[in-house]
Amino acid sequence: MSVTFVQLTRHYYREMQQISFRNDILPLKDKLFRLAFRITLDRAEAEDVVQETLIRVWNKKDEWKQLDSVEAFSLTICRNLSIDRSQKKEAQNVEFNEDLHDRVDSSNAIDSMEHKEKMQIIRRLFDNLPEKQRSIMQLRDIEEKSYKEIAEILDITEEQVKVNLFRARKSIRQQYIEIENYGL
Amino acid sequence: MDYKYIEQLIERYWQCETSLEEEEILHLFFQQKDVPAHLLRYKDLFCFEKEEKELKVSDDFEAKVLEKIEKPVVKAKRISISRQIMPFFKAAAVVAIILSLGNAIQKSSLGEENDYNYENYTDTYTDPQVAYDEISSALQDVSEGISKSKVLEDTDTLVSTTPATKELIKE
Repeated sequence: MSVTFVQLTRHYYREMQQISFRNDILPLKDKLFRLAFRITLDRAEAEDVVQETLIRVWNKKDEWKQLDSVEAFSLTICRNLSIDRSQKKEAQNVEFNEDLHDRVDSSNAIDSMEHKEKMQIIRRLFDNLPEKQRSIMQLRDIEEKSYKEIAEILDITEEQVKVNLFRARKSIRQQYIEIENYGL
Repeated sequence: MDYKYIEQLIERYWQCETSLEEEEILHLFFQQKDVPAHLLRYKDLFCFEKEEKELKVSDDFEAKVLEKIEKPVVKAKRISISRQIMPFFKAAAVVAIILSLGNAIQKSSLGEENDYNYENYTDTYTDPQVAYDEISSALQDVSEGISKSKVLEDTDTLVSTTPATKELIKE
């Protein structure tokens, strides 16, 4: 009797936490895309990565219920695929920076040229950081993830997350102030 | 206006000691128009972080992914092509059954006509005496056959009872 009760409770608990692809996973697409873009620095490549990530997550749908966070799981897959792709690209000696101009044009802000230029400078500083710092800063300062979540996604300790974030913020800040003070 | 709190937050931000809520306050603070001059140099950095969140995948992306993910369903449909043909097989089977039943009914009704039409019967012998002799000899054969089998049956029972009678005698 008690066994059946436990089984029933478990069953209903699982029913309650039903994860739907359309409602819970597909909406992650932009977040995944921003991380993939930050790592690959190529729009088409990043979209490819996100597509593959979503398909992989979809194929693992039997495991969703056992995961603490499907979002963290998806971000981990996305990061690993992005790193793979950018390493392959590096091996092919493709210049990442070629794409940077397209990115600036694609932001349809009606802001002044000066503002656009400033954003472009910061973006360039950001994109020149080592991958780990870049991914961590992306997840913290843009996606607003907790240290715990970032540690889980990157499979490192929270302390390592903080150390890398500290270096990333410091590096961008120092370089940007230098540029602001002394010009380009 | 006193910006000490914001200055403190910024300092703690560089040390990675701010919480997500405090970082949100910083983002909101730097989004307003009138940022004091001494903090202006950080405005761009915080605005950048906010602006980068606007980046999105292309519009047709979702449809593309759903198409890829629903592909297995298409594969399942391919398997069901045989199932789609099934009704035709069923229809063909029904037609075959109806045809064969119709045939059988037709044939059996024709046979009945043949069996029960006495007019079709013809006499085999012209002389009644010859016919009588033929019939009696045929019946004689039948009766002989029957009596032969009866004799055989009797001997069988005799043989089968002998061991039992022997036993009885022994006792």
